Amino acid sequence: MKLSQTLGKSLWAFLFNSGSCNGCEIESVACVTPRYDLERFGIKVVGSPRHADLLLISGPVTRKMAPRLRRVYEQMPEPRIVVCVGTCGTSGGAFYDSYTLVGPVDQVVPVDMYVPGCPPRPEAIIDGVVKVLARLEASEKNA
Amino acid sequence: MSLLTPQQIADVLQAAAGAGFVSARCTEWAEGVKGRKSKQVWLKIARESLIPTLKRLVEIQYPHVSVIAFADTGAQVELMYHFHVYWGIPHEEILVTLAVPLDKTDLRVPTITGIIPGALTSEREKQEMLGIEVVDIPDGRRLFLPEDFPQGVYPWRKDETGIPADMVKNLWATGRDNLQFNDNPPPPAAPAAPQGETK
Amino acid sequence: MKTIEVKKPSGYATQIGPAHPALKEPVMFSLDIEGECIKKADFVPGMAHRGVEWMGMRRNCIQVMYLAERICGICGITHSISFVRAVEQIAQIQVPNRAHYIRSIVGELERIHSHLLWAGVAAHELGFDSAFYLAWRVRENVMDLLEYLTGNRVHYAIIQIGGVRRDIVPDQFPRIEESMKFFEDAYDKLAAVFLDDTTVQMRCRDCGVLTNDEARELCPVGPTARASGIKKDVRVDHPYAAYGDLEIDYMTPDLLTGEVRGDVYDRIITRLLEVKQSIGIVRQLLAQMPDGPLLAIPKPAVLLAKLKGVAGEAVGRHEAPRGEVMHYVRLEAGKDEPSAWKVKASSYSNYLSWIPMMEGEQIADIPIIAASIDPCISCTDRVALVRKDSRQILTKEELHRLSVEKTRRIQASLLK
Repeated sequence: MKLSQTLGKSLWAFLFNSGSCNGCEIESVACVTPRYDLERFGIKVVGSPRHADLLLISGPVTRKMAPRLRRVYEQMPEPRIVVCVGTCGTSGGAFYDSYTLVGPVDQVVPVDMYVPGCPPRPEAIIDGVVKVLARLEASEKNA
Repeated sequence: MSLLTPQQIADVLQAAAGAGFVSARCTEWAEGVKGRKSKQVWLKIARESLIPTLKRLVEIQYPHVSVIAFADTGAQVELMYHFHVYWGIPHEEILVTLAVPLDKTDLRVPTITGIIPGALTSEREKQEMLGIEVVDIPDGRRLFLPEDFPQGVYPWRKDETGIPADMVKNLWATGRDNLQFNDNPPPPAAPAAPQGETK
Repeated sequence: MKTIEVKKPSGYATQIGPAHPALKEPVMFSLDIEGECIKKADFVPGMAHRGVEWMGMRRNCIQVMYLAERICGICGITHSISFVRAVEQIAQIQVPNRAHYIRSIVGELERIHSHLLWAGVAAHELGFDSAFYLAWRVRENVMDLLEYLTGNRVHYAIIQIGGVRRDIVPDQFPRIEESMKFFEDAYDKLAAVFLDDTTVQMRCRDCGVLTNDEARELCPVGPTARASGIKKDVRVDHPYAAYGDLEIDYMTPDLLTGEVRGDVYDRIITRLLEVKQSIGIVRQLLAQMPDGPLLAIPKPAVLLAKLKGVAGEAVGRHEAPRGEVMHYVRLEAGKDEPSAWKVKASSYSNYLSWIPMMEGEQIADIPIIAASIDPCISCTDRVALVRKDSRQILTKEELHRLSVEKTRRIQASLLK
């Protein structure tokens, strides 16, 4: 896989759980384990948003996590890609109304790609990441 | 150790509750091919009897406190203290529930953390979620709700102190301003909001 | 509401979190540190408080069942099984026995998947990433099996009030047995990796101790309690589903080592033993599975109408991979929605035991101690060290680095 020039050689990802049930989170981690092995593409999960190009967000964004999500987003260097993993971050899903949620995710930070599913399979998450990269490449070519 | 039957436990606790005793019942439920039964004892007692009854329960076996459940019944808030005794003996565990009804005019209850420290999480949660004052609680801070959550709003109450309609965020409706032109059916409407209902 | 006075800490005050949403309550730690040593520990959960109980009190029972499933993405079946058991007791619905067996089988497979997930995470926290990959590779096999049996990897959606929605037919038994053999081999490998390794022993022995008396008073559940010698397991204590038909034993670490110390190492032993126990339980359940229907009331509309007519209160419980889960449900006649619903997740009971575990330990031990009660990890997201006015932020990476460095130090001292 070839990465766009803007992002350099490899893509580093940061996982952020904004109050999800953990299902999406675990499936995202499963992406880096031997069965799916994202690391063969140079994609790596890092522990600090300052090192990350890609932000994988799961969950419907609770009140307590919303300012933290915004801060994590701002700490990431440009250009940044945001992928929203799971239905509850996309539209609320099973948590369609609540007093303590401020989501969906795109109400808090801009989102480039939505991966639906409750939770999406690891293949779907990989597909979402690859698609957003392809789109980025195409937009660079056109520019 | 000779084990008491659920009925005997109910009788012993009834005696300990004294004048505060309201009602008691024992239930059983069987599942599986062998139909082994799980046993429950349900006691309703006044607030004043909570501590003496619990002390008597500790004499039977040091109980494991599971959680304090709740119900808003209109004029009252009921707290259900769920304890397990006889754990560690296969198939013999008994779930003892002490239900304590509290009038909404006087929502105070003594802490049980002096007897079972493990109840602290649950008591803190009851304070913020139901507006109950747990007297002498060793740590009265908020637990789950955010720091900026308005005072005097208690999510689990079904009266005017419950969640007001304007605090509810409808996640499903965001970004769907043109809903009337949208083929997507809205999610099943929630039953009439319980806030502000008079019972 | 009363507030307590917060004393000015001496030394450092440390915060860990905002955390990884454990079940419904992720956690932020705040610790007082002197040098490397933790003097006082406290925690602030609520980062993932979604108001699930409030939502549930506005939906009908079948909708609540799916909402309950989404309380936790690791123990997908535990909350739905607890909720439906409470509702079944209120409505006096007799679940067919075959459904009880299927529920138990899926519950045990879930325990295997959760414990393997935990073993991987714990290894990662120790800087033992090859074991992390090994455990998660084995785990993919149980995920495949769960998908084969239920159709889903995570939220299985196999439970229905009054039974289950899918059968496990004899044609599928060989595939299950194949996986069980695979897990037996994998168990031997994992046991060798975790239990015979000197480094793991040196990092985990006598670290994060929860004594038997503390465990009795703080009321933890599941492997956290059993590793401290508390014999408490809902499957054994309280006969439900198909577990009442089996003779199951409490898995405590003394079965393997002959003693109970209540440290992190004992919690590793307990979970590994439970993986082996679950393999045996699945085999027994398959051998004894009775024939019969799957659902007591197959039509959802009939079911909802019945539930609308009943009133009462009941408690549904299940032994989740992390310990007891309990749902209290109260239904009123003429209402679709439950008038009260209280969810007690297993980590809810286990949080308080973090405090005695952490006090007196080193900063580098925080990741493994936090992970040892299996709170769905990553609670060590971000650490802020506060020293008077200056503020130092420790990221998860740095904390992890500290932990790995400690492991390397121990390994180096071993070589000498």
